[in-house]
Amino acid sequence: MRVIEEGKAEFLKVDPDGYRGYVRENKPHQMVSKLMSHKDAVERFIRDGDYLAYDCNYFQRGPSSLIREIIRQNRKNLWLCGKFTYVACALLVEAGCADRIDIGFIGFGPWISRAVREGKCKIYEYSNALITLRLKAGAMGLPFLPARSFGGTDGFERSGCKLVEDPYTRQPVLLVPALNPDAAIIHVHQADEFGNSRVFGTGITHQECALSSKRVIVSAEEIVSTDELRRDPARTSIPHFAVDAVVHAPFGAFPGTVQGYYASDPQGVVEAMGAMYRGDFRDYLKKHVYAVASHEEYLDKVVGAAKMIEMRRREPIREGYVS
Amino acid sequence: MSTPAEQFSEREFVICQIARLVEDRYIYWVGGGGEPLSSALLAKRMTAPNLQYLTEDGVVGPEALVPFDPLMTMISSRANYRALQWGTMNYAADLAHLGYVDYGILNTLQVDRFGNVNSTVVGKYAGGEGRRFGGPGGADSIAALAWRTILITDQQKRKFVDRVDFISSPGFLDGPGARERHGLPPNTGPWRVYTPWARFGYDKNCQLMLQAIAPFVTVEQVLEEMSFKPDIADTIEIMEVPTDEELLVLRTEIDVGGQVTDRGRWVELKDGKYRFAQQ
Repeated sequence: MRVIEEGKAEFLKVDPDGYRGYVRENKPHQMVSKLMSHKDAVERFIRDGDYLAYDCNYFQRGPSSLIREIIRQNRKNLWLCGKFTYVACALLVEAGCADRIDIGFIGFGPWISRAVREGKCKIYEYSNALITLRLKAGAMGLPFLPARSFGGTDGFERSGCKLVEDPYTRQPVLLVPALNPDAAIIHVHQADEFGNSRVFGTGITHQECALSSKRVIVSAEEIVSTDELRRDPARTSIPHFAVDAVVHAPFGAFPGTVQGYYASDPQGVVEAMGAMYRGDFRDYLKKHVYAVASHEEYLDKVVGAAKMIEMRRREPIREGYVS
Repeated sequence: MSTPAEQFSEREFVICQIARLVEDRYIYWVGGGGEPLSSALLAKRMTAPNLQYLTEDGVVGPEALVPFDPLMTMISSRANYRALQWGTMNYAADLAHLGYVDYGILNTLQVDRFGNVNSTVVGKYAGGEGRRFGGPGGADSIAALAWRTILITDQQKRKFVDRVDFISSPGFLDGPGARERHGLPPNTGPWRVYTPWARFGYDKNCQLMLQAIAPFVTVEQVLEEMSFKPDIADTIEIMEVPTDEELLVLRTEIDVGGQVTDRGRWVELKDGKYRFAQQ
């Protein structure tokens, strides 16, 4: 295959055989219970230097409680999969947890801009859909997939993409390198103790994230029985064998929404956006992360029952979300 | 039934222009929020009740329940209410690759004469020197894969430039044939550029051409707020102002809090002429 043009950026090594070997040796092929606390899940499955993917974002059915736990445990040198993101990357970079970002879309703010200028944070350019395609390639066990976008942009040379001559049509086509993150965190509506999970409604890339990533933590609004899942198998979004840890996280997406379960907390959303735009998450992190030891304590002391009731009340729509 | 409004903002003006283009018989991929989504929602209420649009999270043809909470234009129950189908981002990109997306509607930070879109950096990229923005997001897929792309930008010299500082999403790149050389599907690309003051189109050579202006500005005013001189059509059309009916729906059902329309200058009819209100 003739390579016409190549992006010059560093990208996570493409190694489908290595990933197959990892799946054989390390993925939990047998149904075993994986229920554990946020603390245990992050301690065991998120490591310094990991390439970390999260599905959705801090505001929209995202794994917000796991992001806070990663910050609480002070992980270092993460490489972030920054697609479809308002504040998650800025939070992790400001907290000192991350220093590389693949960008589809992220809220920048002055802090990341400064970190980039000072050489403390490296950035690589993609688009949202190219990143989800990279995860899809990773989730298919393939080294790459073609796409018909992104060629000719200025992001191209700052990515790991290549423009090649398609051996079938002889036309130029873009290739994206497969992405197999070291770790992924995904927030779902329901999961059983083994990790079989249901996402209701639209999403960005939950299934691809789960299947492409070496270590996967699922946080779930509800823990349900396996019998319940077997009643409607077409609604299982993620199979247990892709999942390493299951965390029960009611209001896990706070301050964001989980569609069909609760609306966002606009005050909490604006508070986080404001901190990002100011480039100062110190007070935010103190209040929302460091002041408490766990997600349970956070819901109890920082969020409070009144707010949670209000968020449920403001989400009257059930169509499509009830099981 | 349609009464030309006597007062409106220039932002409302551009939303109404785009809403009038939107038809039931096409499929749209709209940028998540702002003017693109407001235009689609307005069209659905005015003239296109079976409107089908996609957003990045793979929603197909929702009957969105407005207003939304701040930022909740995707992956929320109200934005995705009563859709025909729910998917994910790769599904949205698949549909666009397949050719189902007739039109993309995009808001832009900076746009140039070839319709290239910058949403990455204003100023120099190297060393992080320029002012950095979020990146292409879903816009690169829309701009590359929709058959026709409608771009929206402000009528300001620094936003409407000869060459964008960074191509985040492709227009015609550097001219005829360039999209195909870089792997993009043939017969696609920018189709119209709208600002609150003017409408532009493209000729066969990918050259931007001023086609129409708002009744509250002159051609000279439009050209003053551009960093380069576009081609100018032989006859410049004067675009029709919003109607009272459109504005009622926009203000009371779609942009209730003024999140989208509460920017830009106010226009009023005075002595038989539309002009900017004294501020």
